[in-house]
Order: sequence, then C-alpha cells, then structure tokens
Amino acid sequence: MKYETVMGLEVHVELATKSKLFCACSTEFGSDINENVCPVCAGMPGTSLMVNKKAVELAIAAGLLTNSEISPRITFDKKNYFYPDLPSGYQLTQLYSPICKNGWVEIETDAGKKKINLVQIHLEEDAGKLIHDDWTDTTLIDFNRAAVPLIEIVTRPDFRSAEEVVAFLEKLRSLLSFADVSDCKMQEGSMRCDLNLSVREKGTEKLGTRTEIKNMNSLKAIAAAIAYESQRHIDALETGDEVLIQETRRWDDSIGATFSMRDKEDATDYRVFPNPDIMPVFIDDEWIDAVGSNLPETAQDKFIRLTQGLGLPEYDSEIITRSKNLSNIFDETLKHFNNPKEVANWIIVELLSIAKGDNKGEDDVRIDCRKFAKLIELVDGRTINRNVGKKILSLILEEGIDPVEYAEKNKLGMINDTSLITSTIQEVLSENPKALEEYRGGSKKVHGFFVGQIMRKLGGKANPQIVNKLLVEALKEI
Amino acid sequence: MGLFIEDYKVSGADTVALEDSIMQKGKQVTAGSRILDNFTSPFNATVVDRLLDGGFKISGRTVMDEFGLLKLSRDDDNTPSGALRAVSEGISAYALCNDLFGRYRGEAPKNDCCYIHPTYGTVSRYGLIPLASSMDQIGIVCKDLSQGFKLLSHLAGKDPKDGAMFPDSSYNYGTTDEKITLGVPRSVVEKADEGTREAIMDFIKEFSSTDINLEYFDLYNQVMYILSSAEISSNLSRYDGIKFGYRASGYTNIDDLYIKTRSEGFGLDAKLTAIMGAMILSKDQYGPYYEKAMKIRRLIKESVKFDTYKVIVLPCRISDDPYENLALYSLAPLAGLPSVSFSYKGHGIQLVAGVKKENLLLSTWEVSMA
Repeated sequence: MKYETVMGLEVHVELATKSKLFCACSTEFGSDINENVCPVCAGMPGTSLMVNKKAVELAIAAGLLTNSEISPRITFDKKNYFYPDLPSGYQLTQLYSPICKNGWVEIETDAGKKKINLVQIHLEEDAGKLIHDDWTDTTLIDFNRAAVPLIEIVTRPDFRSAEEVVAFLEKLRSLLSFADVSDCKMQEGSMRCDLNLSVREKGTEKLGTRTEIKNMNSLKAIAAAIAYESQRHIDALETGDEVLIQETRRWDDSIGATFSMRDKEDATDYRVFPNPDIMPVFIDDEWIDAVGSNLPETAQDKFIRLTQGLGLPEYDSEIITRSKNLSNIFDETLKHFNNPKEVANWIIVELLSIAKGDNKGEDDVRIDCRKFAKLIELVDGRTINRNVGKKILSLILEEGIDPVEYAEKNKLGMINDTSLITSTIQEVLSENPKALEEYRGGSKKVHGFFVGQIMRKLGGKANPQIVNKLLVEALKEI
Repeated sequence: MGLFIEDYKVSGADTVALEDSIMQKGKQVTAGSRILDNFTSPFNATVVDRLLDGGFKISGRTVMDEFGLLKLSRDDDNTPSGALRAVSEGISAYALCNDLFGRYRGEAPKNDCCYIHPTYGTVSRYGLIPLASSMDQIGIVCKDLSQGFKLLSHLAGKDPKDGAMFPDSSYNYGTTDEKITLGVPRSVVEKADEGTREAIMDFIKEFSSTDINLEYFDLYNQVMYILSSAEISSNLSRYDGIKFGYRASGYTNIDDLYIKTRSEGFGLDAKLTAIMGAMILSKDQYGPYYEKAMKIRRLIKESVKFDTYKVIVLPCRISDDPYENLALYSLAPLAGLPSVSFSYKGHGIQLVAGVKKENLLLSTWEVSMA
C-alpha cells in the first residue's frame, strides 16, 4: 500500500527591528538577563502600547516577498492564557485581521517547481524565556525576548515530502534575510517552525489524523522528525498497534523521536478578543509602495547579477548568494577592490575554510571588508604570496591588523630576487644529498620536498613561480 | 476605614487627591486590592506629571473599592469612596479617579460635589491601573464645575505614551455661545423618584428642550456588564504572583501558585468579574455574548446623534437595584462621551454631550446655576 504524507507549516520569524513591538526596549540577542525590560513589556498595569512602525513595515515586506495581499487596516487581538513567560497574561497577536493573506512561495526540488500557498502572515509578540535550574529546583524568567516582534507564516497543507519542507524553509530564509526582514537563524531561535503532519493512502481525499510537532531547531532535525513521524503514522495505520490521536508532540533531537507533550494545549480556550488598547493601523498603497521600492536585492536577483553581470561561475555565485552575510561581504569588498573573481575566490576558499575551522557558519563570519580587499590586492599584485596572504587573513580576523602595514613592518614582501633564490636552491640541494639521490632514481615526489625546504629558508616569502622555474632548471643540470 | 492610604498633609485650593489606581513613582499603588499588596510604582502617571507641572499639590492617595469594580453584591455600603470624601469634607480641592461604573457620578451630587467624566481619549490613561481599557477614563471630583474644567485643561491633551487618544495637544474649556437644546428621555426620567423628576422638570424649563427616546436603554447595563467583564478579566490576568504584587506562600507547582495567589489576592468582586469575563470570552459564549454586545454597543453609539438636541439630561438614580442604575452610567463609557453630574435643587442630575463637547456641559451647568 502506498502512503502520502501531508504537511503544513507554522513558521515564526523574529523581525529584525531594533526595538520591541510595543515599547522602546532593545531586541538585541545576547544581552544580560532582563536587561531589556521596561514596565510596558513587563506587563505592568497602567502602561500603554505603541505599535512599532518598523515591525509593520517588515511584515509588509514579508507579504510582498511572498506574493501576499496586504490588509488595508490591521488590529491586534488578545490571546489569553496563563504561563510564567507571558508577562500580561495575554499574548498580542492578530487573529481577526492578519496583515497578509493568501500569499505563495515557489520552491524547487528534484521533483521540479511547486507553489506553496500561504493562509496568512500575522504579527505577534514573542514570550520570555524560562530558565530551569535543576540544581536548586527553581525556575527563573528572562523577559528580554518578551514582546519582541514576530511574524507567523501559516502555510496550507501543501507539502508532500521533507525535501519540499526544507526547500520552502531555505527559500523563506533567503527571501527574508536578503530583505533584512529577519536574520532567520534557527540556532538562535529567530526562525522556529511547527509542523502539522498527517498520513493518508495515496489517491484518497480525506486527511488522516493530524499531529503537530514542535521543537525542531535545524533543517536536519525537521527532515529527521518528518521521517520519524511519517513512519510512526504508517506503522499505526498498518499494524493498528497504536491509535493515532490529534495531539502536539515534541521532537527530541538527541533520541531521534517524537513524544506526546500531554499538555492541555489542545483543550485550552484562548479567549481571543480584539485589544481595545491599540488603535487600528491603516496601511495605504503609498506605504506599501514605499516599502516595496526600498526592498533590497533578492538572492535570486543577486545570483543573476553575479553570473550574468560580473561573469562569475554559477558555482561561486550559488555559494555567495546562499547567505546574506557572505553576499554583503562580497559586495562590500568589491567596492574596495574591483576584481569579482578574486574576491569570490578568497571568500569561498580562504574565508570559509577559516570560518569552518572556527566552527562558524557562513552567516557568522565577520570581517573588515576594506582590509580584506587590501589583502586580496596585495596578493593579486604579487606584493606578497598567497601563503603569506592566508596567514595575514587569519590575523585580520583575529586581531584586526592592517594588511599593508603588517606586510611592510614584518618585511613579508615577496622575494623575487633570482640570485638569492638560486643560491638558496643550491644550499638546499647540497644539504639533502639523500633526497637528491631519490630524485636521480626517478622520484618526482621530492620536487615538492625541495620547494618546501627552499620556502622555509626564505621565510615563506619567495615567489613560488620563480622558485619552481629555477628549481626545475637546477635539477635538470644535475 | 480611613480616607487616605497616604495623607501628604497639604491643603489649599490647588490640592488634588489621587485615587489609589493612579501611579505615583516610588509610592505603593494597590488599586484597593491585596493582589497589589507590595507593588511600588516605577513611574508617574501622565496626569500626575501634568498636575505637578501645573503647580498643583498632591494631597494624598485615597482608598477605593477593589479596582473600582462594580459592587453588585453590597449596595448597603453607604460610605462614600475616599476620593469623594476628600473633596466633600474639604480636605482636598479636587480628586482624580476612574469612574467606570458610576459610583462617583452617582454619589457626587449627594455629597455636594460635582463630577467630570471627560471624552474618551482626551485625558491620558498612562499610569491608570486598567479596568476596561475601551472605556477607562480619568475623571475629576470637584466642588464647582467651572473650577473642575480649569483643572481638566491642565490634564487633557495628547500624550505620546497613551496609544488611544485624539491628536489634539490641548483643549480650551469654557462656556460656549452655541444654542443648547436639551434632550429629555421621558421614559427614563419617569423611573426616578418624585423629587428628582420635579427637579429635572425645573431644570429643563431654563432651556429649550425636546423629548427623546434612548434606543436600547434597556440593554445599556447588559452591554456594559458583558463588555466590561470581558475586558476586566483579561486585564486582571497580569496579576499572577510571578512578576510583581502579592504572591501566596506554600504552593506546590505553577498552577497551585496561580490559584492560591489569585484566591488570596483578589476580593469577591474581582473573582466574580474574572470568572464572568472568562465565560463571556470562551469559545461557545463569544458569539452570543461578546460579539453580540459589541454589535449593540455600535448601535448605541450610532443611536445618540445629538442632532435635534445637544445635551442629554438623566437622573442619577432610578432604582434600588445597582444593576438597573448602571444603565444611567453606561452611555458615556460605552460611546466615549463626556458627562457631568451635580446637584440641582438637592437632586442629582447627569448631563451627557457629544464627543469633545464638554463646553456644552459647562455652559448648561452655568446657566442652571445662575
């Protein structure tokens, strides 16, 4: 029997505003605990809420990028429930007039292109964070995240495979991060997603019993959770050993399984009603146009510009436009040294390998692009050789040194002096008679060994082309 | 029970008492509830800042019914509220409070005081402990309406810290030359006692007047009760023992903490309102109660047109049942209208005018006092 998995997503994306949704508190990630809290976002009585205009604009931008209708008038509603991370006892969200409706996003998988339809995108506030201390058996609350603006993107149940879900989330991340709507970092929680999943026999219309899965913190986890949960549903359908119930389940990444949350969530009545404290916000076409015309280049546009405009290979362009951060570094560095191929090369080969060694993702690399450009120029102009360049790159990242000053001060300029290089070659050959013997015996491997020795004697600064050429000549004469 | 929670021992014509629902930085502010037992306000209400800027002195913080809630259970309590006594006993020239359910508007005339309930959205509510956010409005207890409106001119005007206000930065309160025609809802006036009926008949003699029918009057109190309960129950949910205010001791888990804290911290009226409001907003009751009441509220707003009449005249009491009397005090908060109440020939009269038409109220009062 053939089964089909039917899935829908609810994606929460933290908006990249500087301040919270209804007050002036900072939204900075990594602040001290309860540093960014004021009477408003602590839910104190007597405070009043002002809608953050920037948050509305970012939500409009998200709507435009997902081909959504933008509502001309939006209001906020109170969703009432008790939980310690919720300061006022209600969450402000948009049930009755979401800011965006009926959008769609096109994705591409091995199976081809497909439209994923969106029910809506709505604005809402985030909650605080509970910190459990097992040692003292207490729970403390950090309200820094309380009232940070979010959008929730709700899709129709259009997904049929994990590949589609992952492709959608990657597309969403690309769209929203390139437009500076959000940095969309799943590890930091600025992009979170809940999945609704059911399984039915292929060809049937009726949807199976649906479960909601929470707590998936990476694309890998999402794919694994889909595989696990689909199989669980199929097993239940085939063996009848387990009766599927509509419930919320938690993905445990370390175990690789979902577990019933057994909470009362499905039974909770949120008593949502319009918030009388916040006046409606009116969104006219002029405002929408202004947001639209200020939207930065999308990853797709940038890819076309890189490949067709700048003549970069598709492979390089793909890597650079996969991350807003990398493409920012690319554009900024190019401003100071206009050689697209070299800049791309240095980002992809050198910068990313250092980042990988430091356990940093492509979104987390930070570099002074002016210094980076100078460095590439030094190597490209043969003032220093590439190996020295790599070392300087590490120093720029670690200590923020200026490459030009540093190369001068430490006399790292490339050695092109043929007589110095020739005499060094002679020294190395005479000091290594055994290797020379091997060479005569036909071993070509020792060529590299000689190069290494020569470079070491010259402090790694010799022009590698000259060394090679002169070494070949010297060996021929032997 | 004393009059003041805190008495700053100042006197004079520029003194203002604050009901305990108005925030004053560094002071304990409880709104008359144990649930805010140890709550110290971290900020000043905008009205407090404006009072101080206007050279007024705060005379003290007065006792109040818990959160200013409707007391359906105990109408036999005849002690006037603290804010009213402060003015009526001459201890303070004015008092500020939030009169949602008409307690002050009803009691002021009996205690030789006047009450000003300004248009919704003209006086900042930043720093007012919320009851029903769509209706809350800081008002003034005073001895004389013309003095009261002078104080109001210091308080009213847009505050960037309150999101639900008119854009006007200030208001000029004074008498107006506009012709005043009174609208008299006979069917309501007839419910009042004989003395009040006669007083109202005398009162309207001095003006041109017309008989009006207050449509939906028999639904006023129901709509008021349903919508206020819903909003209040949500506004009370922040008092959970987690962040500020009272927290019960000896709880075993988070639900137990909530239950014990709110059971011990809230009085009977708060509990009744929280439960009633939660019921009204629940999935099955939302349509028949909340949504329907919202629709009727809109109809009520649209029904008072102030076309052939400019000012509505109402009695201050029509029944021994507090719930029936609530109807008299529901129109102003439900429709966001200004109203005043005062004593005329020994009987309480209430006037209601259109949005931002306070000057009509003041003029009517001045003519009647002349």
